[in-house]
Amino acid sequence: MLALTRKAGESIVIGNNVKVTILEIKGEQIKIGIEAPKNIPVYREEIFKQIEAENKEALKQNNAKEALSKLFS
Amino acid sequence: MTVNTKYFGTVEIDEEKVLTFESGLIGLDDYKKFAVIHDAQDEKVTISWLQSLEEPDFALPIIDPLFIKADYDPVVEDEWLTGLGEAKDEDYFVLVTLTVPEDIEKMTANLKAPLIINMSTRKGAQIIVENQDYLVRYPIYEVLKKMKEKEGE
Repeated sequence: MLALTRKAGESIVIGNNVKVTILEIKGEQIKIGIEAPKNIPVYREEIFKQIEAENKEALKQNNAKEALSKLFS
Repeated sequence: MTVNTKYFGTVEIDEEKVLTFESGLIGLDDYKKFAVIHDAQDEKVTISWLQSLEEPDFALPIIDPLFIKADYDPVVEDEWLTGLGEAKDEDYFVLVTLTVPEDIEKMTANLKAPLIINMSTRKGAQIIVENQDYLVRYPIYEVLKKMKEKEGE
C-alpha cells in the first residue's frame, strides 16, 4: 500500500479525475473530501463489505429453492 | 442459447433476454452475464432467480421490491446509472436479492443494494442506495406469508 503523509487542507490526486482532500483532523477523526466523477461510486468500506458478505451469503444457500417452494405451495 | 442452471436443469434462453452486469455484483464480480428465470409451473411468479450464464451453480433468488415494500423508492443518482446506457425512467427495472437461511422464517431481502436494470440496453448494476433506513437484511417472511394467505382467500 502506498502511504503518504498529508496535513489538513492538503490533497492527493488519483488518476486524472479523482481528488482526495484532508478537510479536518479532530482527535481520532479525520474528515475527508472526495471529488470524483459521479459515475464512480464512493462507499464507506463497512457498508461495501456488508453488501459483499450479504451477496455471498445469499448465494451460498443451496436449499433456497426447496424452502421457497414450500412457502408458496 | 442453451444454459445449465442451478435449479432448472438445462434451459433455453432467448439471446435477447440476456442481462449484462459489466461490474458483476458487489463482491461477486467474476460473472457478468445473467438471465432472470422462474418456475414455469408457478401461476403467480413472486420469486425469480438471477441465473449466471457462465456458472451454473450461481443463482440468486430475487424479487420485485414493491411486492414486499409497497413504498420502496431507492435514492439513486442519475450519474450512477450512466454505465447502463441511455434510458427513459420507465426503462429501469428494479429487483432485490433474497437471503434464505436454513430457518426460512429468518429470510430477508437486501433493500440497501438493489439490482437496477436498463431494459432497453439490458445492462444492469448493483447499486448501494443512499436511503439510511433501507436494511441489508429486511425481514420478509411475515410479509410473504400474509401475501400467500390473501391469495388463498
